[in-house]
Amino acid sequence: MRFLWITLIWTGMALWAVEPHWAYAPLRTPRVPEVGEVGGEVTHAVDAFIRAQWVRHSLQPAAEADRPTLLRRIYFDLIGLPPSPEDYQRFLADSSPQAYEREVDRLLSSPRYGERWARHWMDAVHFAETHGHDQDRIREQAWPYRDYLIEAFNADRPYGRFIQEQVAGDVLYPDRPEATVALGMVAAGPWDESSLRDIREDTLDRQLGRYVDRDDMIGTVMSVFNSTTVQCARCHDHKFDPIPQADHYALQAVFSGVERAHRFFDRDPAIHVQRQQWMHQKRQLERGDPELLESSQTRTEVRQWSMRRQLRPVVWTPWLADSFLSAGGATLQHQPDGSFRVSGTRPERDVYTLTQTASKGSVRAIQLELLPDDSLPHRGPGRNPDNGNLHLSEVELWVSSAGVAEPRKVRWARATSDFDQDGWTVAHAIDGQEKTAWGIHPQEGQAHRAVFELAEPLAAHPGDRWSLVLRQSHGGSHLIGRFRVSITDASGEASRVIPAQIASIVDRTPESWTQDQSRIVSAFFLRERLRQQLAGLPEPSRVYAAASDFEPDGSLKPSLNPRPIHRLNRGDITQPREEVGPGALTCIAGLPGRFSVPEGSEEGARRAALAQWLAHRDNPLTWRSIVNRIWLHHFGHGLVATPNDFGRMGSAPSHPELLDWLAVWFRDDARGSFKALHRLLLTSATYRQRSQASGHSGPSNEKRDRTVQLDPENRWFSRMNRTRLDAECVRDAMLLINGRLDLRMGGPGDRQFDLKPGIHVTPQVDYTRFDSDAPEGRRRSVYRFLFRTLPDPWMEALDCPAGDQLLPARNNSVTLQQALALWNNAFSLRQAEHWAASLQALGGDGGESWKGVGWWAWGRPLTDTEQQEWAQYAQKHGLANACRLIFNSNEFLFVP
Amino acid sequence: MNSPGLPFGRAFNRRDFVRHLGAGFGGVALRQLLAAETVRIDPVAAGHRPHHQPRAKRVIQLFMNGGASQMDLFDHKPELFRRAGQSFDPGAGVRIEAPTSEPGKVLKPPVPLRQHGQSGRWVSDLLPNIAQCVDDMAFLMAMQSKTNVHGPGSYLMNTGSLLPGFPAFGAWVSYALGSESDNLPAFVVLPDTKGLPYNQRGNFSAGFLPVSHQGTLIQAGHASPMADLNPPSSARFVTPDANQEGLALVQKWNRQHLESHDRDARLDGRIHAYELAARMQLSAPEVFALDGETEATRRLYGLDRKETQDFGRRCLMARRLVERGVRFVQVWSGAGGPTGNWDNHANMAKELPPMCAATDLPIAGLLRDLKARGLLDDTLILWNTEFGRMPFAQSSEGRDHNGGTFVGWMAGAGVRPGVAYGQSDEWSWKATHDITTTYDFHATALQLLGLNHERLNVLHLGANRRLTDVHGEVIRAVLA
Repeated sequence: MRFLWITLIWTGMALWAVEPHWAYAPLRTPRVPEVGEVGGEVTHAVDAFIRAQWVRHSLQPAAEADRPTLLRRIYFDLIGLPPSPEDYQRFLADSSPQAYEREVDRLLSSPRYGERWARHWMDAVHFAETHGHDQDRIREQAWPYRDYLIEAFNADRPYGRFIQEQVAGDVLYPDRPEATVALGMVAAGPWDESSLRDIREDTLDRQLGRYVDRDDMIGTVMSVFNSTTVQCARCHDHKFDPIPQADHYALQAVFSGVERAHRFFDRDPAIHVQRQQWMHQKRQLERGDPELLESSQTRTEVRQWSMRRQLRPVVWTPWLADSFLSAGGATLQHQPDGSFRVSGTRPERDVYTLTQTASKGSVRAIQLELLPDDSLPHRGPGRNPDNGNLHLSEVELWVSSAGVAEPRKVRWARATSDFDQDGWTVAHAIDGQEKTAWGIHPQEGQAHRAVFELAEPLAAHPGDRWSLVLRQSHGGSHLIGRFRVSITDASGEASRVIPAQIASIVDRTPESWTQDQSRIVSAFFLRERLRQQLAGLPEPSRVYAAASDFEPDGSLKPSLNPRPIHRLNRGDITQPREEVGPGALTCIAGLPGRFSVPEGSEEGARRAALAQWLAHRDNPLTWRSIVNRIWLHHFGHGLVATPNDFGRMGSAPSHPELLDWLAVWFRDDARGSFKALHRLLLTSATYRQRSQASGHSGPSNEKRDRTVQLDPENRWFSRMNRTRLDAECVRDAMLLINGRLDLRMGGPGDRQFDLKPGIHVTPQVDYTRFDSDAPEGRRRSVYRFLFRTLPDPWMEALDCPAGDQLLPARNNSVTLQQALALWNNAFSLRQAEHWAASLQALGGDGGESWKGVGWWAWGRPLTDTEQQEWAQYAQKHGLANACRLIFNSNEFLFVP
Repeated sequence: MNSPGLPFGRAFNRRDFVRHLGAGFGGVALRQLLAAETVRIDPVAAGHRPHHQPRAKRVIQLFMNGGASQMDLFDHKPELFRRAGQSFDPGAGVRIEAPTSEPGKVLKPPVPLRQHGQSGRWVSDLLPNIAQCVDDMAFLMAMQSKTNVHGPGSYLMNTGSLLPGFPAFGAWVSYALGSESDNLPAFVVLPDTKGLPYNQRGNFSAGFLPVSHQGTLIQAGHASPMADLNPPSSARFVTPDANQEGLALVQKWNRQHLESHDRDARLDGRIHAYELAARMQLSAPEVFALDGETEATRRLYGLDRKETQDFGRRCLMARRLVERGVRFVQVWSGAGGPTGNWDNHANMAKELPPMCAATDLPIAGLLRDLKARGLLDDTLILWNTEFGRMPFAQSSEGRDHNGGTFVGWMAGAGVRPGVAYGQSDEWSWKATHDITTTYDFHATALQLLGLNHERLNVLHLGANRRLTDVHGEVIRAVLA
């Protein structure tokens, strides 16, 4: 006996070692079984595979569902809405054999299809529009990714491309704006703002936060695309699957150059390409990329620029003020060198106004020189008694013309200076905000210079008066102590101030520059030009997505290069071991487990390599995973019961041949078309079965009981699975039945709550104070704003997820909270009232006009008894109460 | 009562139904009721029976949101008084890490601590009433967190994971043991009236367990403390008659529908859910109404005093809830955000006393009341927070977060009274001896409830998930 056991164990281990686990084995193309014994001739491949198992397990299939049931089923499955009474009428009147296929095609081409299927994907990638965690901040621009999904499903984006766009669309499809938006997937999950933005950069908590955050990214990508639980290999080699710990960290390395952040994109593809190019150059510049800095083109451009500066020195003409005033009562004294010295009263704040009569010619820029002076604290040039600093809040130039009542304010193009105090740049002096200002700390006691360029040249008209206004509103006597103003008509490029360090190089001929100096000047030149080029583009759109380039937010800053990733012994942040390069799984035959990305290349190359690895035709997980997901949403459960886990702890496929046949068919014949796959599945006889094993047209009760006994979980699909409507379907159906569903698509999420600032970051959100009749309450549920830690309780009661976990399939729960929400919640009751009002408008007498009630809600007319009971109740308690009952009926909530 | 019209299998009675709400109606419906990714593999949970003889039948957890300061309340360190104002120097080359600030000078507690009871536990003068109960408590003096940040820290203490998406402690208990009540959910949360804690409702989530196990929010003091218990006042058309007769009619239709759609436990489940909803509509208001309590009881919880009224009301409601069969009640002190809670970054002397004053009397009142009613014998009381605070100052008067050591205590069912387990260093900076991890804490509490933390698990996304992850040791020293 013992010997036998040992033999069995040995044999088992040997098989384990030789035969790879089914999920990692290469895809095969199984022969479609020939079965004719059950239910007549089989022409549909799906049915052939399914029936082969019925024969093997002696199961009797259920009869075909009646036509109204089929119509209701495909409507909810494909577009998430119920058919109208007219839809039933049309379908029932169409006796052609193609009537059903025609309905399927019609629904697949409806824009409602994308809205339904995008939501499945949003569940899978745990999309929501706030960060989650303790600082559950709103992501204002997460919604473009939701719109991307809707558009991608409607456009039937081939699956391989769909994958690549969501992992590396910015790199692989740089000319397609939507491919950048697709990166919202990687950032869809929660983000710990405290750990990743607010606490100190030098803490272990910050480092730990980063590992944990990337863990979520790779968990999302690998669960969704490969049904692999690679996140289980963070602390040690995977306990059950052939995933060494190093694979986990190789995947971390793929994403170690990105953060979750709002990134730019442009809806106009031409502008998109342009901006991305320039932003890419800017990053190259920040990385000190020699390819850009030392290119011959850059070198030539820099030389030309420096020559132009030397050839045409700017001539500055003094500002000939005939009136100069201090609003704060200080004394402005004209000095022999044309400057003003300020003395006397030292107010907290001040405004200087210098006025002159327009000279001849035109003005393109104004120069403000700040000069040190021994009479000032710390030699100035400011009047602040502590350090001689100053804060110039706003510079304004006003023109008053004879015969025109109101003076006109001149627009500035830009401001440059030789030095800016940290956080107090000269741009603040022309931003129109008095709260911000230009400062020069800690470089007090020296001369400084700023040039303000006009948006358009100002022509001098005889008799015009020009006033220069220097507002210094910061307080604390941060005032200018000595200054000189001059004007020029030279172009911006010439007059602009360049930092002293650059000027000292550029003033000499390029031939004398050292290599270092040459690089410094090139960098300055390119940075200035890029700034100008980018400023010239229209305002960009933003999407919350994986990003390596974004505007810094506190200590959350883009990393110029991918961060080095170390394998963490036991997953412990204090035990880093060897560095790991980018890669994926090492257990897929024929696909490299590590990516050969050249040293020093940008992070995008890593993601692009992963995207191509995932979308590769020889990645068996990819193709098996997706056909199982689509199957699951149509049949109620998957061929593999664990859609996110094809590993040894997951379920084995019930129909391995069918799974492979579908995977290969979807990849090769359908070329990754979701719509083709839906069509294939929905036209099978398996899909068209009744959900009951019983019924007049079905087999006898005895056989039915045997079928249920043999297959209690319906593993062999010998009948259809009855599904409960998703939260979105319930809500949308209520609105549609009322005639109040607004089909406007896209745009920012509808905030179906009252929003108030919270105590800290997380706002206060009150769903009970939202008026469901408001325009934001009437669109399809996929457009609801999704709050991660404060989800809508009504939707939650119907199992709508909150985006805190990857969810391949919704729960189908039946709970007390759900009963209370449908029975008593203000939204449910209001919809009953609306329905009642629309019925009232149809006649309201319980006659023919009410026939639609049954069709809408139950997919059949009410029986005579039901009609009678309902009408009696309506008569006694009003139609609104009567409609409330229909919305709470089981038949409304379940699709048979 | 047998449910009408069931053509097959075993009939459910109401109590069965409540136990089974959402957790499965037997094998047939299992897969339909649970997410396809979550497969229950522990048979104990299916039967709602504990693994071993439980000492505790129910739990009241008092959660001090923000990181209650251990050395200012319970972890007495003479060194802090001796070296107050000096630089914090734990030794050459030892890294000092404060998450949000530069380490400041050593800061002594604003108010002295004294020894109390026969056990001689140290308690701050800010907690005079709790101080009188120390001989009933077991202190975990050296608890340790993996993080110094509120979000992950709160998740860790509430769900055993640093990340969102995992079931709360109370959800696990609900899942494993069900409710003892016909009319109330198994897991109830009483948040601070000022707002929800860090992570908002994420701290009471059912995670990957069925949604029926999530914490049901009861807003004490609100006109309608429980959502959707009754129609809103805006829906005037719903009269009591329309309600009652309507329910009868919809239930009639649902039963007819069930008869022609056999073997679907969910259809039956919905019929029962509506019956239960109707009963709860009638019974719940009684639980929330505190006016039936005697004057003495109200005083015991501090309902007659402004500073203790709010927390006291919720402690009293917690007692009423467990009396009526709720398994797990969580009472929160402090909302999220930088002030008005236990996250005292700016000034211990100003920020800590009001938090103590609000909770001290009600907590002592709850312990005394439960004891007097004999409920303390099988009710477990837990006092917790997500992490502790630093021995040195943040901006001269406050303290920064410190996951290195903190204090929690337990009392009641099966707890060894008057003991203290674990020890921190001379500063109360890091736990040194007999450390209690968050996993150990959960394992110990589950043990008292008759649950083996290693066996209470579900398979989710390829891993056997437990409240204690792959860790956790039961702390025997605090068990009676």
